[in-house]
Amino acid sequence: MTRSLPAIRTLTDGELKELFQLAGWVKAELSAGRSLPRPDQTRTVGLLFFENSTRTRVAFEQAAGLLGHRVVNFGSSGSSISKGETVKDTILTLRFAGLDALVVRHPSSGAPQMIARHFPGPVLNAGDGRHEHPTQALGDALTIQEAKGRIEGLRVAIVGDVLHSRVARSNAWMLSRLGARVRFVGPRTLMPSVTAKLPAKVYYDLRTGIEGADVVMCLRLQRERMEDGHVGSVGEYARLYQISRQMLRHAAPEAIVMHPGPINRGVELDDAVADGGQSVILEQVKNGIYAKTAALAWSIGDLAGRAQA
Amino acid sequence: MKVILKGGRILNPATDLDIVGSVCIEDGQITDVGPDVDETGAGAEYDCRGLWITPGLVDLNCHLREPGNEARETIQSATLAAAAGGYTTICAMPNTQPPLDSPALIDFLLDRAASPDTGGVFVQPIGALTKGLNGREPASYASLKRAGVAAVSDEGSPTQNAALLQRAMEHCLQLDLPILIHADELSLSAGGSINEGGMSALLGLKGIPRSAEEVAIMRACVLALNTGCRIHILRVSTWGSVETIRQFKYLGAAVSCDVAPHHFCLTEEDMPEFDAHWKTTPPLRTMVDLELVQQGLSDGTIDCIASDHSPYADHEVEVPFEEAPFGFAGLESTLAVTLTHLTHRGILSPLETIRRLSTTPAEILRLEAGNLKPGTSPVAQVTVINPNLEWTFDVHRTFSKGKNTPFQGHRLMGKAVLTLVGTENYRDPGFEPERYRRS
Repeated sequence: MTRSLPAIRTLTDGELKELFQLAGWVKAELSAGRSLPRPDQTRTVGLLFFENSTRTRVAFEQAAGLLGHRVVNFGSSGSSISKGETVKDTILTLRFAGLDALVVRHPSSGAPQMIARHFPGPVLNAGDGRHEHPTQALGDALTIQEAKGRIEGLRVAIVGDVLHSRVARSNAWMLSRLGARVRFVGPRTLMPSVTAKLPAKVYYDLRTGIEGADVVMCLRLQRERMEDGHVGSVGEYARLYQISRQMLRHAAPEAIVMHPGPINRGVELDDAVADGGQSVILEQVKNGIYAKTAALAWSIGDLAGRAQA
Repeated sequence: MKVILKGGRILNPATDLDIVGSVCIEDGQITDVGPDVDETGAGAEYDCRGLWITPGLVDLNCHLREPGNEARETIQSATLAAAAGGYTTICAMPNTQPPLDSPALIDFLLDRAASPDTGGVFVQPIGALTKGLNGREPASYASLKRAGVAAVSDEGSPTQNAALLQRAMEHCLQLDLPILIHADELSLSAGGSINEGGMSALLGLKGIPRSAEEVAIMRACVLALNTGCRIHILRVSTWGSVETIRQFKYLGAAVSCDVAPHHFCLTEEDMPEFDAHWKTTPPLRTMVDLELVQQGLSDGTIDCIASDHSPYADHEVEVPFEEAPFGFAGLESTLAVTLTHLTHRGILSPLETIRRLSTTPAEILRLEAGNLKPGTSPVAQVTVINPNLEWTFDVHRTFSKGKNTPFQGHRLMGKAVLTLVGTENYRDPGFEPERYRRS
């Protein structure tokens, strides 16, 4: 069975649990030095990136390799996408290029859903606009599980540019559905004007927002936010929303600090926190590969039944 | 030839007439309307029992796309669609390529509309507010008026400069030309694709705040109040817009407005996720807006209903949501959606329904249309409506080239079965004339 992964939000509870368990199993196998069982059939996974990314692309390449599948890369520069071909025509062409699954990154929210309507195989979202980044959230859930031993009941503060963040949305759905209590913390200009449909409690003050938090997850502040007036200046943002060692004292004593990368040092985090004992940022990178491996397997139909084993 | 529309419910809002009777059309002109008309020598008779006989519908906001975007629509396909939707007069918005900013282009449009292969409905051109719709220099309004425009508009290129809008109003006041206003403050709406609110937060789409529409409406109303120019606000969508217009009407501004069908029956919550067939501007709003828009229609603050017919080619719509164009093809669904969601639910009476779809738009633009009274139109413009016909809207059966609509598969109640412009123009396959006789 194959199935797409457009978002965490749209998964059923059963699917979400299954995916998380599979990711845990993949992680256990790989970190014990065992290799994953070879697939019955080697498949070809297309990495279709309409937006530049090195980290996510490389992580998916590694994930496909761990599962024994081939990867074909498509990018918007140097391909027909940059010659004015519509996305639909690109996809219709790829249907006949022998691709079994697609991993899509696109600057426009919802593009993976649109692409899935025209592609017969599974389509995995590797980040769409400001909508979702499901495999990032899956990896982050693994990281929290590893550091805290559980997710249920934890207080998770997601700090920064929530408005423009697909990481914030995917994590809020992922962690809240696994039983965490999620908070969004950030300035009004970087918070959706209506948050009633999102599974998080909103705080505009950093200190109140991270009070007692078990997990402090920082979001990247894009440079363009300074130009379009969302933040007054980098200095002002850092003064109000930076996680410094001093600010971190307001979180729970053993709180972990996360960041999806790349970090703007001195903006979202100070060096002492980024490199300190509470930081799990490098674990996030490692778990990101396990998460992407599990997501690919889950979508293509490999390793079925392994999660419960 | 003499045609009798016999025994129907005659709805003529211009004279507040709502009776059962017949309409007699001789040589393309309405000659008699009433309970008893002289039927001798009739060449064709239509049995209209159980049906409504109304003035032909008038659409004051319609995009024909010709010249320039014939892949989306042509004058021919749009007029055929209009006739099938019950319209006998449609206004052609100026945002074509090139925009309708000169008498030569108005001539072209009228010429094409009069060609025998079209749907035969009247096409009423609307002139461009600025040269090339560039938003900077006023067009030559006197020449445009002499060429036949009924109004000028910044449709598709909303005016951002208040001084320019005021200058245009001064010109148009002198010429007694109304201005149709595309109310959108672009500094607030730019980059947005759905209503700013719960859904935009959920789907991670940049929102179009209600303030983008309301700020622009307020500015236009202030200028209209100060200049005295007649203005008409196209497609209001928020409760704040309705309230603003209510206030400015009270203050004495010569302002009217319309609403498009999707804004009185659909909300942001109805959209299937990321379905570009549901993308429009102003965007679908919330239940509160929908209810207060319906109330505004019912109390007359909203003067009329316009289709805002905005056809696009399939390949333009089948793209990622944020890249898709705004707007719906609406000529063939507007009447039925209005009947289904307003009339059959008691929000508008049958007479008020026809007033909003025919009489008032004709009055706003001072057209010789929207009235069944003999002598009010150079040729008979009549629509026969079966208010209880149940059908399913299917874009594969429409005349319009634009298949972009949120109403695909929608169950509807009520449909135009006969549209006459002088002579029979569109007839529903299920509606046969009673008898033909040589006169």
